Amino acid sequence: MRINSKVLLAVAVMPLLFTATAKAELNVFACEAEYGALAKAIAPSADVYSATTAMQDPHQVQARPSLIAKMRQADLVVCAGADLEIGWLPMLQMKAANPQVTSTDKGLFYAADQIDTLDKLTRVDRSMGDVHAKGNPHLHLDPQRMLTVAKALSVKMSELDPQNSNEYQQSFADFSQRWQAKIPQWQEQAKGLAGKKVIAYHSSFRYLFNWIGIEQVADLEPKPGLAPTSSHLASLLTRAEQGDVMAVIVASYQDERGAKWLGERANLPVVMLPMSVGGNEQSQDLFSLYDSLLSLLNGVK
Amino acid sequence: MSALNTRVSLLALACAVSSYSAMAEDSSLTNPNISAVLDGYYQTGDRPLAERAEGFGLGETELALSANIDEMFYGKVTAVVESHDGETELNLEEAFIQTLALPNGLSVRAGRFLSDVGYLNNQHKHTDAFTERPAAYRAFLGGHYFDDGVRLSYVAPTDVYWTMGVEAFKGDSMRAADEHGERDFDDVGVFSALTKIGGDIGIESSWQLGLSYLRNENGLAYAEEHEDEEETDDEHEEHSHSASYTGENTYVADFVYKWAPNGNYKYQNLTVSGEYFRVTDIFGEEPGHDDDAGDVDDHDHEFSGDDYHEGWYLSSVYQFSPSWSAGVRYGQVDTYEIHEDHLDPQKLKETELSVAWHSSHFSTVRLQYTHQEGTNFDGFEDDNIVTLQYVMSLGAHGAHQF
Repeated sequence: MRINSKVLLAVAVMPLLFTATAKAELNVFACEAEYGALAKAIAPSADVYSATTAMQDPHQVQARPSLIAKMRQADLVVCAGADLEIGWLPMLQMKAANPQVTSTDKGLFYAADQIDTLDKLTRVDRSMGDVHAKGNPHLHLDPQRMLTVAKALSVKMSELDPQNSNEYQQSFADFSQRWQAKIPQWQEQAKGLAGKKVIAYHSSFRYLFNWIGIEQVADLEPKPGLAPTSSHLASLLTRAEQGDVMAVIVASYQDERGAKWLGERANLPVVMLPMSVGGNEQSQDLFSLYDSLLSLLNGVK
Repeated sequence: MSALNTRVSLLALACAVSSYSAMAEDSSLTNPNISAVLDGYYQTGDRPLAERAEGFGLGETELALSANIDEMFYGKVTAVVESHDGETELNLEEAFIQTLALPNGLSVRAGRFLSDVGYLNNQHKHTDAFTERPAAYRAFLGGHYFDDGVRLSYVAPTDVYWTMGVEAFKGDSMRAADEHGERDFDDVGVFSALTKIGGDIGIESSWQLGLSYLRNENGLAYAEEHEDEEETDDEHEEHSHSASYTGENTYVADFVYKWAPNGNYKYQNLTVSGEYFRVTDIFGEEPGHDDDAGDVDDHDHEFSGDDYHEGWYLSSVYQFSPSWSAGVRYGQVDTYEIHEDHLDPQKLKETELSVAWHSSHFSTVRLQYTHQEGTNFDGFEDDNIVTLQYVMSLGAHGAHQF
């Protein structure tokens, strides 16, 4: 009898506990590590989970069970958008059965919706490779665009969780102040890089190069999404022999082999840049990510 | 005639919206996801219960349309065109709606759709790493089991993925053989209950385990006084999506394990999967048949309630570069065929190797070798079969289903 009443009490109290914990913190599912870091910066009390690391290509993610389970519990899903996650996000949304995060009217947030993307296409054909009409989604390496995204994210969080809107507004104000203080420093560091030419893998650093003024003169991928072929690498070697290329650049989730082959033959340094937070030891948050990117690029001789 | 109409209107629909689909934007009602799958092959022999025949041929040519209908519903239509022996047939493989806004992790799917039993069944065949489904699928589910019905699913709010589902289907394609066409089948013949759990092990590995139970009210095969041998043979040659070996109760256990260095699937990844099927209560007496068929009792019954069909496979596929993958699979089925009043045990073993070249995310050319060993299996004996196949998709980006 005594056991029964305890069980009953536990059953009665359990929903209250769940509700209480659910209200205490916003449950955020970030598609990529950079948006996990941004969410954490704006909502320090939130429970933030990042679906991918800086070592994983966000185009090629499996809609795996753990991600379904995390999305099932999410209040807010933060993704790059512009179809970067087209191969797995719709499947996760379908399987997670969480109506809170299927619409941008509610708990779904696309960074690309907040800014103007680069390289929008009016016509998309698969012969062009795996490209998207909505433009380049790797926008987190442009500090101005990232600031706009951060502001929009703080507004979204306040809408979803008005009780804690003070926290989000204050954290954003703090982030914004520190970020804007950093931008001139980064620009100062990037001065010597303007006008330099590189060969890189994919259009992963499109926004970074655009901001700094680096010109990507060739792509290790023959077409977006396709692996480097030997004939394509041979043509890159010819291009590199013109002598104006500073370095071969790959992202932390990209295969170095093609870049190394080219680097050795063309006598060019190969630089692996962190694609996101966690992409190397130095990149612990968005600030140190940018610091590390600039110091690695400046380190090229 | 109605099949032709369906085809014409689907094509018209596809043409009408194809200009929008090229934009690869999010799907919507005026801009649905459209995709087509092209599949062709040449092979040197026949595999039992398989879709593909010797020589040149086409696999399933698929045309799919899907979109969110509104805030509450998602819909999908998949039409499949197949050619067999000079005849072209159009089948509707999927035509379902699914709820998008039910609370508490619940969702309902209704219409015609792929059952969620087992691991492979809910996946489209063109995403498989092998030319044909494992023998167990071909024997017990007709290759892949889709049907008209309804499903209720629930996903638990836990960090370890845990889903449960119950389904009810018409079950026509799962009916036991009915030689004389006299049998009174249940209209709602198939019920299933399933659960899956899964998660990650560190950053590099993911896993999923599943258990399914399928109740087939029409699965019990009746003892026949006389089995017409010729009729039986005809039935096996005829192309069909029906299960060849049925029973009242089917139990499926499945697992899948995936690994990629750093969890990055772009360059290298490994998939190991396996499933086990047991189909029980396979043969019985026709109810009410005892009185007017006293002679059946005189026969020496060799079957008992303990007989069951069984099948399993184990598969391992490694993608060693974005362009190349290779797989090895072993599978077998142990079944019974009824001959008059006794049971003939049959066995089929398949050992398969496949190598695939992927020019991009959307195209695959596969070479597969199958060594099959049949014992009393509808005339299939030891054989070696080589298949060269292409599978390519155009239109909307397919999902990276786990």
